[in-house]
Amino acid sequence: MVRCRIFQYVVVLVVTASASVAFGESSSDGDKPRAVMPEKHGAVFRKYCLDCHDSETQEGKVDLETISFEIGKDIPTAERWAKILNAINSGEMPPKDAEPISDVDKTGFLKDLSIQMVVARKILSDAGGVITMRRLNRREYANTIEALLGGIPDVSNLPDDQATSGFDTTGASLFFSSDQLEQYLATARASLELAVLPRQPPASRTVRIEPEDEYTPHYAKAAEAMRDTGKRARAFLAQKEKPAAAFGLLDEYQAKKQQVQEWLPLMDDYLARPETKTGATLIMTIKQGGYTRIKLPVLHEQAEGQYTIRVRAAAYPDAEERLHYLEFTSGYGTGRERLGWRKVSAPLNDPEIVEFKYEHRPGQKLQLMIHQRSHQDRGDKNLATIDMKENGIGTPPGIWVDWAEITGPEPVNRHAPAVEELRHVLAENDLASRDDNEFAREVLQRFATRAFRNEKPDSAFLDRLVLRYAANRTKGQSRTEALLGPLSIVLASPSFLYMVESTGNESSPSLTDRELAVRLSYFLWSAPPDEDLLSLANSGKLSDPAVLKSQTSRLLGDQRVDRFVRGFVHQWLEMERLGMFQFDGVQFRTFDNAARESAREEVFETVHTLLDEKLPLRSLLKADFVVVNDLLAGYYGIPGVDGHEFRQVKVPDGSLRGGLLGSAAVLAMGSDGQRSSLVERGAWVLRHLLNDPPPPAPPNVPMLSRLAGQVLSARELGKAHQEEPQCAQCHQKIDPIGFGLENFDASGQWRDLELIGTGRRKFGVWQTTKTFEIDSSGQLPGGQKFKNYFELRDAISRHEDSFSRGFTESLIAYGLGRPFGFTDQDLADEIMRSAKQSDYEISQFIHALIQSKLFQTK
Amino acid sequence: MNHSMNSAVARRAFLASSSALITLPFLESLRPGSTASAAIKTATAAPKRMVFLGMGFGVTADRWYPDVNTVGEDYQIPDILKPLNRHKKDLTFIQNLMHQYSADGHSGSTFWLTGANRYGVPGQSFHNTVSVDQVAAEVLGEQTRFTSIQLAASGEAGASGDGHGPGLSLAWNRSGKPVAALNTPVAAFHRLFSNDKTPLAERQARLQEQRSVLDTVLADAKSVNRKLNKTDNQKLDEYFESVREIEVRLAKEEKWLSVEKKLPADPVNEPGESLEGYEEIRVMYDLMVAAMQVDATRVFTYRMPVNSLIASLGATMTAHSMSHYSEGERRDVSQSRDTAHAKLLAEFIDKLKASKEPDGSSLFDNCSITLGTNLSSVHSLTNCPTLVTGGGAGIKHGRHLVMSDKKTPLCNLWLSLLQGSGIAADSFGDSTEVIRELFSV
Repeated sequence: MVRCRIFQYVVVLVVTASASVAFGESSSDGDKPRAVMPEKHGAVFRKYCLDCHDSETQEGKVDLETISFEIGKDIPTAERWAKILNAINSGEMPPKDAEPISDVDKTGFLKDLSIQMVVARKILSDAGGVITMRRLNRREYANTIEALLGGIPDVSNLPDDQATSGFDTTGASLFFSSDQLEQYLATARASLELAVLPRQPPASRTVRIEPEDEYTPHYAKAAEAMRDTGKRARAFLAQKEKPAAAFGLLDEYQAKKQQVQEWLPLMDDYLARPETKTGATLIMTIKQGGYTRIKLPVLHEQAEGQYTIRVRAAAYPDAEERLHYLEFTSGYGTGRERLGWRKVSAPLNDPEIVEFKYEHRPGQKLQLMIHQRSHQDRGDKNLATIDMKENGIGTPPGIWVDWAEITGPEPVNRHAPAVEELRHVLAENDLASRDDNEFAREVLQRFATRAFRNEKPDSAFLDRLVLRYAANRTKGQSRTEALLGPLSIVLASPSFLYMVESTGNESSPSLTDRELAVRLSYFLWSAPPDEDLLSLANSGKLSDPAVLKSQTSRLLGDQRVDRFVRGFVHQWLEMERLGMFQFDGVQFRTFDNAARESAREEVFETVHTLLDEKLPLRSLLKADFVVVNDLLAGYYGIPGVDGHEFRQVKVPDGSLRGGLLGSAAVLAMGSDGQRSSLVERGAWVLRHLLNDPPPPAPPNVPMLSRLAGQVLSARELGKAHQEEPQCAQCHQKIDPIGFGLENFDASGQWRDLELIGTGRRKFGVWQTTKTFEIDSSGQLPGGQKFKNYFELRDAISRHEDSFSRGFTESLIAYGLGRPFGFTDQDLADEIMRSAKQSDYEISQFIHALIQSKLFQTK
Repeated sequence: MNHSMNSAVARRAFLASSSALITLPFLESLRPGSTASAAIKTATAAPKRMVFLGMGFGVTADRWYPDVNTVGEDYQIPDILKPLNRHKKDLTFIQNLMHQYSADGHSGSTFWLTGANRYGVPGQSFHNTVSVDQVAAEVLGEQTRFTSIQLAASGEAGASGDGHGPGLSLAWNRSGKPVAALNTPVAAFHRLFSNDKTPLAERQARLQEQRSVLDTVLADAKSVNRKLNKTDNQKLDEYFESVREIEVRLAKEEKWLSVEKKLPADPVNEPGESLEGYEEIRVMYDLMVAAMQVDATRVFTYRMPVNSLIASLGATMTAHSMSHYSEGERRDVSQSRDTAHAKLLAEFIDKLKASKEPDGSSLFDNCSITLGTNLSSVHSLTNCPTLVTGGGAGIKHGRHLVMSDKKTPLCNLWLSLLQGSGIAADSFGDSTEVIRELFSV
């Protein structure tokens, strides 16, 4: 069993902690986990270090004779050991003129020390079960404003809260700065104005774009210019008397370059297609503006609402599969956002109409465009050039567009009770007869109570809000205008921005029903509780286990659970790495933006499917299905999947896909955008599938200089990692797992040979390459051997317990809003036990956590 | 020295009071042309300035540092930094500086100016301390409209995508919390130079209103405070502290309310909205020069873009890809980024040298500029790339210093710069001593 390996062989962990001890009130030293360097390594000190670092000599003020072997004793001790670890890792110690530590001693020493160091850091930073009050993180803030006011605010000026460590729900790491306070005020004001002030978006209309109006003359003119330049260049070169300028050319060099117009055939080919008289064929050009783009009319700041785009199009059957999709984007350059993709499959003689919906947010001005699928880099231009050199024309086009039209805006109505109420009271007819301040007080109190998630505002606070209102009124503002300021203040005050859980004098009281409702809904929706939840809390029924269970099920079944899935899974599996490297478009022709982004969706959609279909968590290790859409099915070569929605698709026995290990997202994260990485993949499997995380990569380890400039296969790199004890101590565990995934290239596609490009590239193509046979055999840390990827996947899928444990620990950290601590071992055990009863069905983990005492205790 | 000691004391006293009771400022005291200040002006030397420029991901390590065997004046500026050749006598490369506690191979900026131990506080998994610029600003920023100015590029990939790590800028306040930055040249321009055209009375009323907004949220904060336990109240302190910071800023704004923002003699134009990468850095440098010319502030930090910088140089990879360079394209991009920084810095120096102070010295003579990052290359945290220039801290330039101790605290440099700039600090972070070699040949 790999379960909790770290704790098994190094930590002296006495599991006697009862719930009260778990909160660290009265735990004696004997109950605490410890990080201890095994006594046997004292021999290493005595043999290699004490000549200089004994208590008497203390060279460099380092005394290894009296150092405590309990690394986690206190921070100074941990720091002393961190320096020892670093000095040996970097090769600084022992010094060059002293006896080197034998490889066996060094490997054993470093292995224990680096693992103990991780444990020590955990012990020393452990908050002892305390849940620090949470500020709404950026996602939650946006969702909360949306739930209250009905519009999604622009939060790009707020910190993203995912930076410091772990999950973005960790209260202690959610800081607050003065700039933020002003940002909250401004954002609230803007959102309130949009919600409350009368707005008149333009009436819905339909605009049709006939792309041939732009592109046929554009390309015809380009062809003409090319033909003319070529003619002049050839005329100049055919004579000797007149200078280049007489032919409108710069010099002979230019003339020679221009005599053959290599891109003219692409233009001619385009213009010769009869269908370009009535539509546009989507091609890739180098100097005529890149992709053929259908530009829809600009959507203005005031024209918010739902738009429907319809495109009449047909596909060219001979094109590569990926070019049979339309890509919908907004914006330009690095600010471009990809909105989605739609497949076109109708033949030219019978085009189809594809539809795409887009919600335009108020206050934004942007233009939507439709074009072929794109790469992150110059890949498409390079591919066009490579194709042109081969076929004389360019990349064969995939789609013809007859026309595109956009209809809208249609109003989007989100249920936002606070706003409905505001609008209602402001529209009341008898307003004039009411006392102004009394009216304001009532409105503000009701709004603040909603904003504070059913907690009444303090009367001193309310007094001040009313003062603000009155001051605005004396300035001649209307009632509505005068309310905007104080309403914004409500949305920038601590009762709104923090999840306040009141404790009074008790150290760990139970949450009130209202507080429980808040914790529950932010856990599963990243949003405030809805009316049902609040009314159950009001009547004191929510803490009833059966009611709580049925409410949990209701929340899990609501579409808002998507925020949990994305928020949690993205951070749990460290998926930000998928965006960290650029994939070369020439090397990975089919792994374009569409494939990469759909690969990310696949992971989220798979977890959704597990939740919806009540499937066991182990389906993430191995499954006889994948959750894909047409685009990703195309990428995986799975036939018969039509439509852009993700759905569960059965795969045959022996399929590469099915489970996270074979997913493009996970495999691509295990690369640097060029080469697959044994280390990244192996370490990811250890961290997230086997719950046996290796210590973090130590900084400052010198590169193996012997290897500089050599081109090595993954297998050889793995072997090199065994040469030096500094490397071997971790890599002997990591690399052998990575070997099993070597048949997947950096983009997650199967390969039989490892091909490594070296030196320069021309049009993105490596000028020299080296190939290696792939040996995908290896072993897991527990010693289970495997011969290939399939056996690796089987071996890992047998570690369901470890995987579930890792998932549980992450779920606790995310749900309770603090790092998983030593005091949480019992809770994790309890959740595991409970989930096991239902065969590890994924939602049972969530139920068990929510039903636990810790989840319902401050 | 005496002067800054006094002002530090004055500020502390002022902060302690935290009310709106403020001594009247010298307003124009250091400004040329003001009659009331003529006497002070002649007696006062040009003010000291400090600039910190953070590069995020590390440099092309084997080509960026001068040869360690050539120290002192007998060294060559590395080929990839050739644009700096013309300023060779005015700059100093320092090798073997590092932070002993750094352990994160992706954070080039989080602890760069602080030297803090992330795990330094029991029970917390993230901890930081005040940054050197903020310590300097407490003294240098007293008599300027802005105590300090933080600039930070806001790329699509965010600070972590640029190798800067957690934080909102290079700056961290006295409580070790991130200090926010101006994210675009156009925002910096308006903050520094745009004059509010609304009448004074109206602006005063607006300040007053901002104060009442703060009073209002405080009323709620106090009611929350009563409900919480100790830990949560410590968390809520961040909120109270933010309110106090705004109050201090408003108090300062009030002092300056009737003073128009000065425009530099060579006017700067409003930068375009979409400046990115190379041009963005150049314009930020221009804005810093202009801000120094009108003495708007004396302390600057700039967390520079990396992704958009390399994109503007024609690269199509991410900054993180670049940072893991090997022979070939990635190394080319990494080197071109290093050269671009050298070129931009050289131009920055040109402009500072060309800009004269009333006493005849140049801005360059009176400011210290540090270019660097906490990451040397890839995931290495030793030998942090460090280039210091400018006459403000009294460094004897024109040399390549290789510290004999490979683990010389980077905070020793920060302490040296503080003291060299006339700030009475005995220590900073984990500093052990001043780097004496900087000040003597």
